[in-house]
Amino acid sequence: MRIAIISDIHGNLEALQAVLKEIENQKVDRVNCLGDVIGYGCNPVACLDLVNQHCSAKLMGNHEYAAIGLLPLEAMNLAAQQSIQWTIAQLKDRELAMIADFEMKTEDAGSLMVHASPEEPDEWHYVLSQQEAIKGFAHLDQKLAFHGHTHLPLIFCQAPNGNVRTIVGHDFDPDEESSYLINVGSVGQPRDNDPRASFVVYDVGEMSISYHRVEYDFKITQAKMCKADMPSMLIDRLEVGR
Amino acid sequence: MAEIIVKFEDKIIERVVTEKKRISIGRTNENDIVLENRGVSRKHAMIEFNNNAAIIMDNESLNGTFVNQRKISEEVLRNEDTITIGKYTMIYHTETSASDDGAADMDGTMVLNTKKQKNLLENDRVERQIVAKFGGSVLTGEENADFAEYRLDREVTTIGKAKFVHVRAKGFFMSGIQAKIVRENNGFYLANLGKSGKTKVNGESIDRAILKNGDLIQVGKSTYKFVEGEK
Repeated sequence: MRIAIISDIHGNLEALQAVLKEIENQKVDRVNCLGDVIGYGCNPVACLDLVNQHCSAKLMGNHEYAAIGLLPLEAMNLAAQQSIQWTIAQLKDRELAMIADFEMKTEDAGSLMVHASPEEPDEWHYVLSQQEAIKGFAHLDQKLAFHGHTHLPLIFCQAPNGNVRTIVGHDFDPDEESSYLINVGSVGQPRDNDPRASFVVYDVGEMSISYHRVEYDFKITQAKMCKADMPSMLIDRLEVGR
Repeated sequence: MAEIIVKFEDKIIERVVTEKKRISIGRTNENDIVLENRGVSRKHAMIEFNNNAAIIMDNESLNGTFVNQRKISEEVLRNEDTITIGKYTMIYHTETSASDDGAADMDGTMVLNTKKQKNLLENDRVERQIVAKFGGSVLTGEENADFAEYRLDREVTTIGKAKFVHVRAKGFFMSGIQAKIVRENNGFYLANLGKSGKTKVNGESIDRAILKNGDLIQVGKSTYKFVEGEK
């Protein structure tokens, strides 16, 4: 069984379409989405529709949480605030109801799926350091967890002695002794100096993880964002991927 | 001479006959008609008698004054109009029904200590105790609730069937997060987030509603009562 895992689409329709097309080539059994379908980009509704259509598990991200009024906007940086306010104005009852059905975490094929961290999923911790990863592992009952949120495709690996290593995302076969916290990267706003959209395929039978990067026409996305008067920082970063 | 019959949950508890130009209605003792209930403001409403007309005016009360189930701010009263304030109803009569029958009726209905009446007052007392203990507003579990009381001590309280919400409601046909209760301006409002029609206040579907003391919130198969705290 093969499961594609996507995250942090952020209203970027062009990136999502490109990723879904590549996922078709990957012959997967299902697609799971780890949240932040909206925010930043200009196509929140179209992205929600595609996710609803293609994804089995649909998880809550902090941008969804903010959009339905469960996270104070002040908790976000200024560019995020500005874009989420724009996004909220695009969402109708139908989309809000869709979001209201997103889960906070889910288990699939023996792995945990969550947007931010296994530790307090609705506190939206950023797992960027080994200390944060150790806290995450402490709340993990499974050997494998997939997450997003930081937009960085990183793998945290905890050895049986508790030590944690940080590895840049790459194709690998998890060994049975270690635990893994696998960040699948971002579809719609990568931040690892690679502008290509990121997603992961988890092959359960083969017990292997593969990272995939997909090119898309970010010029179209940028043009839409210019038209919507989004902060230039959000527009520029799509080109450089950071 | 005008007459006002005061009822508490269908039991007549007072008959007011007055020649005054103006009578006041409220929770505190200085009012002409004292309605002792948490849903009633201190100076809730006023009725002015002018020639043969009677005009009821709501005194910007928190929970409102209703005439024939319609919320009013100012309204001319007609014979047999029903005024609702909190858990009380009042029937307005342009003429006194001072027949012998009426008097006999009154004798029979002036008895307050019926079992139901006691229960109502007891419930009100329990709610007051809950609020006094906590200070803030609470939800009490009325039907299919997994708590007796839930303190609304956060800015946003989520209700739904998802595992991660604060208040887990019973029932299948609702969203993960069906509704939220949000603190705003010294009070709370309830907003529907999930499937439409699955969040109700006092039996009516809502998108968003300011919560008033005693409101019954229905989400899925669960019912909670909003008990307002001290302000």
